[in-house]
Amino acid sequence: MGALGYASSPAAYAVYTVAATIVIGLYLTLTGYGESFDVGSYLLAISPYMWASTGIALAIGLSVVGAAWGIFAVGASILGAGVKAPRITTKNLVSIIFCEAVAIYGIIVAIVFSAKLGAVSTYTAASYFTGYAIFWSGVTVGLCNVACGVAVGLTGSSTALADAHDSQLFVKVLVIGIFGSVIGMFGLIVALLQTGKAPDFKV
Amino acid sequence: MASEQCPVYASFFGLAGSSLAMILTAFGAAYGTTKAGVGIAMMGTFRPDLIMKSLIPVVMAGIIAVYGLVVSVVVSGNMSPGTPYSLFTGMLHLGAGLSVGFTGLAAGYAVGVIGDAGVKGYSLSPRLFVGMVLMLIFAEVLGLYGLIVALILNTKATNEC
Repeated sequence: MGALGYASSPAAYAVYTVAATIVIGLYLTLTGYGESFDVGSYLLAISPYMWASTGIALAIGLSVVGAAWGIFAVGASILGAGVKAPRITTKNLVSIIFCEAVAIYGIIVAIVFSAKLGAVSTYTAASYFTGYAIFWSGVTVGLCNVACGVAVGLTGSSTALADAHDSQLFVKVLVIGIFGSVIGMFGLIVALLQTGKAPDFKV
Repeated sequence: MASEQCPVYASFFGLAGSSLAMILTAFGAAYGTTKAGVGIAMMGTFRPDLIMKSLIPVVMAGIIAVYGLVVSVVVSGNMSPGTPYSLFTGMLHLGAGLSVGFTGLAAGYAVGVIGDAGVKGYSLSPRLFVGMVLMLIFAEVLGLYGLIVALILNTKATNEC
């Protein structure tokens, strides 16, 4: 129970959210302000610079989250298994480098997109397209890199443990991590395709 | 240039569809790769000779990511800042992206769990291999259904402003 006696489970919060949405929706509809719920004007009211900057931030931020998650998973396994099998420490750094590559994808995308930014005095339809494209490309590369970093990290941790057991297994189990790293590459490809047609912000 | 049918914000939804196609299938593929991969590594310490044949679930999880990539490329290829883009097309593309995305997420989850259990059983009894591959194919085809629906939706797109 919460501090004031309300239910505090996740399901209870979901019910509160739905109830609040219904109450606000009914209030707006019944007082004649129903048209103020306008997704389109909300999307146009937010500046394209906000969309673009958020996309760039999420590109690098989420990519680094994925890379960090993978690196700590691999690192903890290498250090744990390396107590009894110190020979694995240098060879298994390649799994950590695969996770680092995920962060590199993010920073490449962030730098390429930041080159498209420039100050303009009025927004055109093309500048809105660029803003939306950079936002969704940043979200794509960020979240795909989270998935990729976690996959490569957990399979890299299994690689380290298998290598500690028997060094013949290293290459065979590393192949699984390579399949995982392809996912981040796909996110990078989609992000570059989406913004490939987006024109720079210019006067 | 903008009109009722082709508002400026229509491309938001099309780009959302393209992104969500890739993101959700990436999560499904990552789950499948990880779950099956950890099982293969565990199994490989006891039966290293079976590792190469056991990589099939990992490959099938990767194929699910390719389904998402195909839809993303097709959807973003139909969008361009100069050409007219209707809200109808934007919503169709959003639907296409969500359909391949959610089916890919579910298919990747299924491939992961089946692959994990399958390789562990295969290491104990080689007769299970064919059964495991059949089950993986059925799970993979779920993602393919999402791809089919996405492509059907995409062909309906018209940009009359």
